[in-house]
Amino acid sequence: METSKSLPPIIKITKYTLVDEMQQRSFVVMFVICAICVFLLRGCFQGNYMVNGQSLDPGTIVRTLSKATFHVIATCVMVIAALFSMRIFRRDRSEGMQSAVLSKPIARWQYVMGKILGLWILSTLFMFILHGIVFLITSINLMVFMPGYLVASLVCSLNLLFVVNAVLLLSLLMPDIVAFLTVLGVGIVGFVADGIAAASQSQIAQAMLQHSNGHPESGITFWKVVYVLWPKLLGVQQLAASLIESESTYGFGTIYPLINVLVYCLILGALLFRRFRNEDIV
Amino acid sequence: MIELKNVTKCYESLTAVDDVSFAVKEGECFALLGPNGAGKTTIVKMLLDFTRPTSGSLSLNGFPSTIAECRRSIGYLAEKHHIPPSLSGWQYLLRCAELLAMNRSEATDQCRRIVELIGMQGRENTKVGTYSKGMVQRFGLGAALMGDPKLLILDEPTSGLDPIGIREIRQLLESLKGQGMTIFLNSHLLSEVEKICDTAAIINRGRLLVKDTISAIAKDGETLEDVFVRLVKG
Repeated sequence: METSKSLPPIIKITKYTLVDEMQQRSFVVMFVICAICVFLLRGCFQGNYMVNGQSLDPGTIVRTLSKATFHVIATCVMVIAALFSMRIFRRDRSEGMQSAVLSKPIARWQYVMGKILGLWILSTLFMFILHGIVFLITSINLMVFMPGYLVASLVCSLNLLFVVNAVLLLSLLMPDIVAFLTVLGVGIVGFVADGIAAASQSQIAQAMLQHSNGHPESGITFWKVVYVLWPKLLGVQQLAASLIESESTYGFGTIYPLINVLVYCLILGALLFRRFRNEDIV
Repeated sequence: MIELKNVTKCYESLTAVDDVSFAVKEGECFALLGPNGAGKTTIVKMLLDFTRPTSGSLSLNGFPSTIAECRRSIGYLAEKHHIPPSLSGWQYLLRCAELLAMNRSEATDQCRRIVELIGMQGRENTKVGTYSKGMVQRFGLGAALMGDPKLLILDEPTSGLDPIGIREIRQLLESLKGQGMTIFLNSHLLSEVEKICDTAAIINRGRLLVKDTISAIAKDGETLEDVFVRLVKG
């Protein structure tokens, strides 16, 4: 039997995962709704905005709005990626594909890797296309060219890998919907904590803290450690967004969210492989 | 070809398979018999590494069943075979062929041959969602035969088939046996087993009761069914 021209099993499983997901009606509906929503935003970019009676520079409006849109799309696609991932093992099991694949000379890690890659590529493409629509609107219609926009989208795909790994792992340990809600909860807590931390760094908040306590709380506390170690999904998004206008300053503090989420991805991936190795195939 | 050594599988307080040992030689047509819940499907799942034994070892062609590569020469049909409803029978067979590392032209040739073998010409391009249970089972058998396996593991292959379908499957299995293929069959249809298989093992509540040739098990005017009932009830 000739094997040289055939693709490695991981690539085949990735391809099947992509094809199967894209054939799902729910995927098509979600994609169409998201694309329409992004198209509808076009009007916002062309609006005439006034602050203190002065008309704002159209370039500034476009940049600010496209950054906000970048965050909204990245966050929504994370939720969508979790929705795709939560049912993948269950569906493969009930439709007989899991036993069909694993009764062939394919190791379990290859199957899991194929699933992770398939879902990651699919959700990254989903996000990239939506960001691509914004990029095209701003470039063609509004003549504001932001080459970093698409690069930022690709950097944000690290968050999607985190979501895919986390939901796949949790869906082996608990009901699918609970796995989805747990990962959603982790994301929300991270976003809120980062928001509070950012707000507490503001001059007004610092002044308020000094006024009430005399001095802001310093030193290492349990909650500070938890905060620092918590998945920095918003941090990755902010780092990616900073690439849109090349405004980033590189240092450990800047790239820490990237390292944090990358480490989580590796840990979750390792746990997923370990858990699936002991899973009974039905 | 297949060897089980002191295999035990426990699910919490339940012992599904209890210290079972037997071997199936190359070219043998072997039937694993037992009532519902006897542990037959658990043994098949352990052979395919779908579940791990609590103790003991299983080997295929001299290699531990945990090595993925030893499944290259195995065809498997599950008891309740399912195919994704969004695929056509042809697409399903093509996927199974591709998973065996065949390139597209080899896979297409194999699929064409298999469709003819399972008698599904003209229906292969319709979605699986429109197939009857028997048709799904035929495509499942077709997928098991993909790549000309040396060992065929069939868990209730005639499940859902009408009498004509059962007869066709029996004839197909007889022809595969004639070609020297090793067949491991899980079945309740004792009359069919008696016609096809050379050797059989009867298990009950996870324990192996007997393993011998069909003629040695069903002797002194007894049918396989008589022996089965006597052993299982006794």
